[in-house]
Amino acid sequence: MAMAALRREGRRFAPLISPHPMAAVRSSIIPAEEQVPLGVRSISTQIVRNRMKSVKNIQKITKAMKMVAASKLRAIQVKAENSRGLWQPFTALLGDSPSVSVKKDVIVTISSDKGLCGGINSTSVKISKAFRKLNAGPEKETKYVILGEKAKAQLIRDSKKDIELCITELQKNPLNYTQVSVIADDILKNVEFDALRIIFNKFQSVVSFLPTVSTVLSPEIVERESEAGGKLGDLDSYEIEGGETKSEILQNLAEFQFSCVMFNAVLENACSEQGARMSAMDSSSRNAGEMLDRLTLTYNRTRQASITTELIEIISGASALSG
Amino acid sequence: MASNAAAPFWRAAGMTYITYSNICANLVRNCLKEPYKTEAISRERVHFAVSKWAEGKPEKPNVICVSA
Repeated sequence: MAMAALRREGRRFAPLISPHPMAAVRSSIIPAEEQVPLGVRSISTQIVRNRMKSVKNIQKITKAMKMVAASKLRAIQVKAENSRGLWQPFTALLGDSPSVSVKKDVIVTISSDKGLCGGINSTSVKISKAFRKLNAGPEKETKYVILGEKAKAQLIRDSKKDIELCITELQKNPLNYTQVSVIADDILKNVEFDALRIIFNKFQSVVSFLPTVSTVLSPEIVERESEAGGKLGDLDSYEIEGGETKSEILQNLAEFQFSCVMFNAVLENACSEQGARMSAMDSSSRNAGEMLDRLTLTYNRTRQASITTELIEIISGASALSG
Repeated sequence: MASNAAAPFWRAAGMTYITYSNICANLVRNCLKEPYKTEAISRERVHFAVSKWAEGKPEKPNVICVSA
């Protein structure tokens, strides 16, 4: 009985006597023996227990986030896969020409509003910066149009002079074509461009995303390129119905192409975001589990050690009395 | 603008093809019968915040919200 009281006492006093109480909190993974001053008999396990509790809670949260991401992914993946049918005819007709060199490049970087989804946002930012560097040159202008909070935070640091437009809060409602087309319309009206480079993460599987660049040219550039031949040169073999001229058709096509490509890009990126969040949360709950195992081991070892010490004390005291 | 005097009426009004096609799509949606009509219309909600940047500084964000 007396021993139990003493042990409780010791446990209560150990943090008070400890010379560095803050240090003890900060590095509670290290066995507490090192921080306890001389003369304190038993070791406080309070800190380790608190730590275990918080790790357990974090693990619960990350597990729940993984579940949420998985269910959102399923809904959005179907949409993204269906939307691929929208840009494919355009690529068949106009081709995708990332190598076209024009005066006014506008890079549309697509990212997410929320974090905790691995590296997909920094990937698209990195690709955007690399693209800008690749296309830099005299008499050339490169501007950014940013979708999503996270790319904004990263691009603000070194190229805030080049940001033209910033669009956020896309995913308040489920993504739909009307919304994306209104955004595309806003971009067309507010930004002057010769070529739009849309940079996003194309969804491949839950664990792999391809950073992708799609190019949308302005009608003038399409006309210039079609005169030069190549894929765009085949445009003349199409018959144009109605009273419209070729340049009108091209302008309508370019605008519609932009909204379709944007729609697909936004969906693919949202899909990649959920996939990346799922795998990030999976690995963090696994890490929390590992940490919990280590902490439990430390905790049990310390507890065992203090019990052993007390037993030795009792036995040696008893034998001293009887002997 | 590449188009000239023969431009269609909607372009003369300052619309892009996207706006024009959206208006047309909305008309089609309104022609649906219930209950498909409310379903189709409630699907197409628009909400986002846009802010223009000038001289490296963001201007006041403009929240666009159309709940059709």
